Amino acid sequence: MDSHLTVAIYFVYICLGLIGAGMLLLFWLRIRSIRIDKKTELYLRKHQEYFKFIQTHLNGASDLPLPPGKLTKLERRVVQNKLIEWIGQFKGEIREKLMKLCHDAGFVRDDISLLDSLFYGRRVSAAYRLGGMRAAEAVPRMLIMLEKQSYSPLTIVIARSIAKSAERGDQLKEMLHHLLRHGKPIHNMAADILMETGLDTSGLLLKLLDDENPDFVKVALVAMWGQAVPEVVPALDRLVGAGEKDVRAEAVKLYLSSNPVLKDETIRELMADTDWEVRAAVAKSIGNLHAAGSIPLLRTALQDSNWRVRNNSAESLAKLGETGFEVLCQIAKHGSGVERETALNHVEKAMLEEAEHQKLDQMIAHNKKKLLYERYFGVSESKPVRQVAAVGGDYTA
Amino acid sequence: MTVNVVYFSIMAFSFRNIMTIFRRAAYSKFNTLSGSELVPSISLLVPAYNEEVTVIENVKCLMTLNYPTYEVIVINDGSSDDTLGVLRREFGLDPLPNPEMRNSIDCQTINAVYHNPQYPHLYVIDKPNGGKADSLNAGINLSHYPLISSIDADSLLEKDALIRMARMYMENPEETVAIGGDVRIANGCVIENGAVKEVSLPRKMWPMFQAVEYLKAFLGGRIGWSSINGLIIVSGAFGLFRKDYVIAVGGYRGGYPGEDMNIIIKLHRYMLENKLKYRIAFCPEAVCWTQAPDTYRILSNQRKRWGRGNLKNMIENYDMAFNPKYKVMGLLTMPYNIIFEALNPYFKITGLLALIGYTMLDMTHWRVLAVFWLINFLSGYLLSVGALLLEELAFKRFNKISDLARMMFYSAIKFFGYAQLGGLWRIQGHIQYLRNNNSWGTMTRQSWQEKSDTAKSA
Repeated sequence: MDSHLTVAIYFVYICLGLIGAGMLLLFWLRIRSIRIDKKTELYLRKHQEYFKFIQTHLNGASDLPLPPGKLTKLERRVVQNKLIEWIGQFKGEIREKLMKLCHDAGFVRDDISLLDSLFYGRRVSAAYRLGGMRAAEAVPRMLIMLEKQSYSPLTIVIARSIAKSAERGDQLKEMLHHLLRHGKPIHNMAADILMETGLDTSGLLLKLLDDENPDFVKVALVAMWGQAVPEVVPALDRLVGAGEKDVRAEAVKLYLSSNPVLKDETIRELMADTDWEVRAAVAKSIGNLHAAGSIPLLRTALQDSNWRVRNNSAESLAKLGETGFEVLCQIAKHGSGVERETALNHVEKAMLEEAEHQKLDQMIAHNKKKLLYERYFGVSESKPVRQVAAVGGDYTA
Repeated sequence: MTVNVVYFSIMAFSFRNIMTIFRRAAYSKFNTLSGSELVPSISLLVPAYNEEVTVIENVKCLMTLNYPTYEVIVINDGSSDDTLGVLRREFGLDPLPNPEMRNSIDCQTINAVYHNPQYPHLYVIDKPNGGKADSLNAGINLSHYPLISSIDADSLLEKDALIRMARMYMENPEETVAIGGDVRIANGCVIENGAVKEVSLPRKMWPMFQAVEYLKAFLGGRIGWSSINGLIIVSGAFGLFRKDYVIAVGGYRGGYPGEDMNIIIKLHRYMLENKLKYRIAFCPEAVCWTQAPDTYRILSNQRKRWGRGNLKNMIENYDMAFNPKYKVMGLLTMPYNIIFEALNPYFKITGLLALIGYTMLDMTHWRVLAVFWLINFLSGYLLSVGALLLEELAFKRFNKISDLARMMFYSAIKFFGYAQLGGLWRIQGHIQYLRNNNSWGTMTRQSWQEKSDTAKSA
């Protein structure tokens, strides 16, 4: 019993010691933080004139001057952070001038030397600032850092810095390689990082589309969202038939966003794809392409097992003039199950939306639809709100 | 002793991760990401029951987040006050003639869905009272996006909270099934235009106890648990979920409180039983501010409800405990929760009674009693100091030295009464469970404006 008590008393002493140390540390950290905040404020005020001078001379022909006097470590950091903030806000020549100022002031040199620090935290913060300063000369060193880095949230920080600072496409490709080698499906994140670069990415994206690494292809496809250019169409033609589901879906979405002329046969094939994302993308695009010949396909797709496909099909039918709208009305009146639910919802939506149209041609189109609506559902000014029995078996997400 | 080993181990995991969290938060700028189409779309689900006082400000706050594509779905859960009315008037909402409910999960029949094309991303579902879980299920049925986020109607999200969570999701989208946000106490803070402008500690005693308690639970506990994928709860006040998996597990379980813990246990179970690689993460830099109960009655009701929900979840899922099939969840999280959370007050009471009995029968000495009480107090206080250190290292939300001193003081005095009350409320919750008493209890709200005025004038 005594030995237990002795252990317990030792434990009490250890706890007391740790609590004391913790409290001291807490107060020291707090006081230090307050002091840094106060000094930062002081330095910002002290260099206000210098910052104003820089701002007014950003468009001038001469180089920007260095901060005046001998600066303390924290003072240098305050000035550096302000310049990094501006580099992020400006583009073109102004950004170049600010980047040069960072070089001349020795900020880039200091942070490159910190990349060799023994402390991981210092290396990461240096990489972050180098990205902010668009320091091209730091890219090779940061690529090595990224290569050695195991996957963590900070991998993203380093990759982003490389993307911002890279001066060649092959550096971006190497960055992507290191970023994606961990096997995580982070293609959206990688595309977002890639688009941070100041380089023209169109050539690189085309190359990535032809790469044998499917991860690179996916990154290129998502990076191009909504901006398919004619040059990529041959590559997309090929990728639309790709075996890998994700690649095919992304390729189809991108391909359709370029408003291509689609053969009926192609539409039929795509609408029968096993991947719902492909079917949904095609269903959506049919309305935008005004492909009225595909109305029967859309009608069938209203019974699709996936909600998004049904929804897009109904939306497209509503866009395909009176014929499409009449099909929707027919199903809303005589159909059953999810097909009827979807059609009914979109008929009502179309009536509400189009009632607000002011232009003559829109009014005419709306009135035609209204006549069709009344043919199926009769004239009713105020419809009762339908109660939806929310119990059922639709398990699509 | 065992409980201390577990507590200190979890705290050690939190310390191991804290600097990564700090750097992740400090070195992530969201000016490009928050305008990017590459970010996943999110449906925010906001269950509201008698929230007429706060709901408008909260909805306005939610509609102005820094996030590219999202929708706000408020679910009026049969409020007896004018929650629906104030929403309809403020946003000019009209009932949709044929709302498309996808019926993915069973829930009560809804009355109507309200919408105004001028606010295309806002929907209000009106339904009979069916509880928070039922409301969330109704919201899921209407939601249009692949990710859902549950948010309490009495909470305010920081503008970057959602994008920070989305960033974490994008770091590992395939394996991430849920992410929890950090919940902080807004009592005492200055709030303007639906956002916390000035962070300060609560002035009243009850919210102050909760403020230090939340810090310890979220920073000291959840960071550590999430690092070993053993997180058992994502707070109902703010969490992000993959909708397909929530539907796969049948949505939220109604009928009992503790639905936030229940959905996480179900997700763990589903992923482990289907041998799917997954993670349930915690994102402490994504902050949600909430009004803490500031009276004894409301606080005790809340804690009894939590006790009831916890017990129900443990009883429902007892088969997971000590079952190696469920990995960390089965071997650590569930046993920890059953023994050290659900049954904790009983162990404490029996231990105390035994020691008093031994002392009275002269089988032991009063010094032994004092030493064991000291161990209990000091180890608990050490954990609180650890949580304050985590806060200071990574977040530095409280600027004044007096704030730090107050937090230290309350962390100490909570062992003299508040901690015992916690145990008592938990036991009362268990008794309510056994008596089938399943009432939610009273919860009164104060408008954010009033709270903010009080904070300013203090």
